[in-house]
Amino acid sequence: MRPEELKEIREKAKARLGLRSGDVRVRIVVGMGTSGIAAGAREVLKALLEEVSRRNLTDVAVTQTGERGLAAKEPVVEVHEGDRITVYGEVDEALARRIVVEHVVNGHPIQDRIIEVREVVG
Amino acid sequence: MVEDLSMHIADLLENSFRAGAKHVELRLSLLRGTLRLEVNDDGSGMDGDLLRKAADPFFTTKRHGKRIGLGLPLFLQTVEELGGTLEVSTRPGGGTRVRAEIPWHHPDRPPLGDLAETVVPIILTSPGVEFRIVLEGNGERIELDTERLKEELGISCLTPEAMGPLMRMVREAMDRVGLKEGA
Repeated sequence: MRPEELKEIREKAKARLGLRSGDVRVRIVVGMGTSGIAAGAREVLKALLEEVSRRNLTDVAVTQTGERGLAAKEPVVEVHEGDRITVYGEVDEALARRIVVEHVVNGHPIQDRIIEVREVVG
Repeated sequence: MVEDLSMHIADLLENSFRAGAKHVELRLSLLRGTLRLEVNDDGSGMDGDLLRKAADPFFTTKRHGKRIGLGLPLFLQTVEELGGTLEVSTRPGGGTRVRAEIPWHHPDRPPLGDLAETVVPIILTSPGVEFRIVLEGNGERIELDTERLKEELGISCLTPEAMGPLMRMVREAMDRVGLKEGA
């Protein structure tokens, strides 16, 4: 890796971590089980990371998990905000970017692409 | 269903995560016309009974889906169709090593796919897991170790902004060892 690239990684990581004032506000979780991967979850994961990075969303974390038991709806993306989990199904790269912009940034869930909303108790 | 070898790699990495691995190593080497693909982890491993059943997709999805998943049976199928070999070494509490040897020039070999676009986003979205990627071929050996990279940079975690540089690094390394993207 070139020195300028190492510097870029270091400086941006430090800037992001320095800006983080507290807990992560939103956690976006992508189902990366076999069916999710086969349906395009890799491209979804990459698009989400690009949008979060491009918009400098320091209070948003993107992670991945295994099968969610929703094979027919893969790729599946969950948006975790406090006690609420909004589940989107059949997510492609374009919808992944919309989720970041419309739901995470502007606070307007994309109603017609939601397959489930769960309230976490306790 | 599984279109390229990178998808299998993503599946194998996911199996390691589901087994609770904190260190995962991916090795790809192209030597004398054979692609050796290896995933090593320090996860929970499997006992003999579970390992025997690991190749059965129905069993694994019904009872042990969270630990094994469908990835291994599908990978075994691909390797067998190409006349390659697949070995799984594992023991309870002692991690797992999956090693496949695939004839690189077999006409039915799936393309490698975009390894950089597959592996780097997974690295960046797996907090608490350290990765070591080792690529070998063309007389070269190139290594990416996330734990060492973070130490060198003085940072506690790799953030989404590292995606571009890391993907370029993996692509350049793949070219150098003769594992071209989309090959």
